[in-house]
Amino acid sequence: MIEVEHLHKSFQTRSGGLLRGQRRTVEAVRDVSFRVARGEVVGYLGPNGAGKSTTIKVLTGLLVPTSGRVEVGGLVPWRDRRRYVGRLGAVFGQRTTLWWDLPVRDSLDLLRDVYRVPPDRFRENLKAFTALLDLGPFLGTPARALSLGQRMRADLAAALLHDPDLLFLDEPTVGLDVVARERIRQFVAHVNAEREVTVLLTTHDLTDVERLARRVMIIDHGALLYDGNLPDLQARFGSARELVVDFEAPPADPRVPGLKLVSSEGPRVTYAFTGAAARPIALATAHAPVRDVTVREPDIEATIRRIYEGGLLGTVS
Amino acid sequence: MGRQGSRPLPALYLLRLYFRLLGAQIRSQLVYRTAFALDALAAALVTGAEFAAFVLVLPRFGALGGWTLGEVALLYGLAELAFVLMDLGFGGFDAPNLSAHVRSGSFSTFLLRPVPLPVQVFGSDFALRRLTRVVLAAGIVAYGVSRVDVAWSVGDVVLLAGSVLGMVAFFGGLFVVGGTLTFWTVESVEAMNVLTYGGRTLISYPMSIYGEWLRKTFTFLIPAAFLSYFPVLHVLGRPLPDGLPGWAAGLSPLVGPLLLAAAFAFWRVGVRRYHGTGS
Repeated sequence: MIEVEHLHKSFQTRSGGLLRGQRRTVEAVRDVSFRVARGEVVGYLGPNGAGKSTTIKVLTGLLVPTSGRVEVGGLVPWRDRRRYVGRLGAVFGQRTTLWWDLPVRDSLDLLRDVYRVPPDRFRENLKAFTALLDLGPFLGTPARALSLGQRMRADLAAALLHDPDLLFLDEPTVGLDVVARERIRQFVAHVNAEREVTVLLTTHDLTDVERLARRVMIIDHGALLYDGNLPDLQARFGSARELVVDFEAPPADPRVPGLKLVSSEGPRVTYAFTGAAARPIALATAHAPVRDVTVREPDIEATIRRIYEGGLLGTVS
Repeated sequence: MGRQGSRPLPALYLLRLYFRLLGAQIRSQLVYRTAFALDALAAALVTGAEFAAFVLVLPRFGALGGWTLGEVALLYGLAELAFVLMDLGFGGFDAPNLSAHVRSGSFSTFLLRPVPLPVQVFGSDFALRRLTRVVLAAGIVAYGVSRVDVAWSVGDVVLLAGSVLGMVAFFGGLFVVGGTLTFWTVESVEAMNVLTYGGRTLISYPMSIYGEWLRKTFTFLIPAAFLSYFPVLHVLGRPLPDGLPGWAAGLSPLVGPLLLAAAFAFWRVGVRRYHGTGS
């Protein structure tokens, strides 16, 4: 569906006035390559200014890259704009595609004409999305009067009315409460499963990624740091797993040969280990009576933070 | 997949969509009724005050550059009518509106829709409140027509209608250029206003009141004199200045669209620039 090869994008910036200023070239994206198959959901992560939104802008045809090859569904995004964008849906968390002062229903009607959606198809989709996203209560409300969660749901419906092959979601859950987030995730998962829509998702909420995407790409300083599935990311860069042992009584010496001691508070002792848990459990519980044992998984948030901070990777895996 | 080729969209569809978008703008404006009424009143006051200045001042001098009040009203009314109609139709390209779209990101939203950009920009603003100015400007034209000593022929009417069309296209072109400049810098907008609003003021008066160099500049360098001054001279039965032949009075519907076409060529350069920088 998406093919990106050696994508480069640099910007010219000036500092200190138009005439005497210094011209500087900023490389926003450096040699990024990836492919996304039809029907995949890919989480695209990176800190602000990492090159995430530049990549998205190139993929949506808004930006022409400095060099590199990009093809989406057999089309080059920035050539033949109208033909290309007719097959895209995009939701940007920060702005809306809806007409601000008009009822949601009117905006959707306008978009039907903009995308020339056949009337039958429009009715079917509107009915389906109204049910899935519970749009009914606010179809008659102007966009400006919607809550953030309602607006996001309406925007999602608006982005999918014309049956796009590819959906770009930029921070779709930002600023929403837990229930609203969950509803949006369910909807995206449904659309992906039922309609085979390919989804590229940028987000700061890693739960979005864990729930929706089997695959993540991580970009920082314009370069792709990681492209693979989530469990592998954990295995390669994750902090060690932790073994929490609750002894019957505080041990005299909590140290165990072969295990790294993290902390010891009364009867609760925490060890760090990597790999399978069976052997560490056996080691830790061999010498004293144990009441309970828990294995704590590192969270991917910490993993990703470690990747950004430490520059754990120089190249794509 | 690919059910919508890039073959040109049917003109009728685009026209219908344009009117749908305008309808959305109008309905949006009518949501705020009080603000709308006040804006409409203010817009009418602008035109009214300007013309009142003529009416009050002109009788004291008897004439302006050899023009009677009725004749000035005709010239002024036509220019005002054209400018206000243009302002109504080309509002989306007006630099403050367009640069707001560019900065807020709604211009990207236009780019993400499979509709030609100009249709969307044209459809992004329609300041209905300016209709009061259209009515007022038409009234000034009517007043001028009733006061000038002309035996009206069909040719005269066609000539003046063409003049209005030419002016709409001409000033529309300036709006498009001004809007396009905002792809580079917002600071250029003031410079552009000198041309747009200055040009409008300039052609609202008989060119005979200006010095020769100014008149020649706006005849040969910036062909604004062709827009309304020459057609009105012709209708009033006067010769064109600088030895120009009579048919030059009919060039307004040519001069305006030429500038507009050039402006849209520049627009495409601006959009390409936007695609290069994304801002």
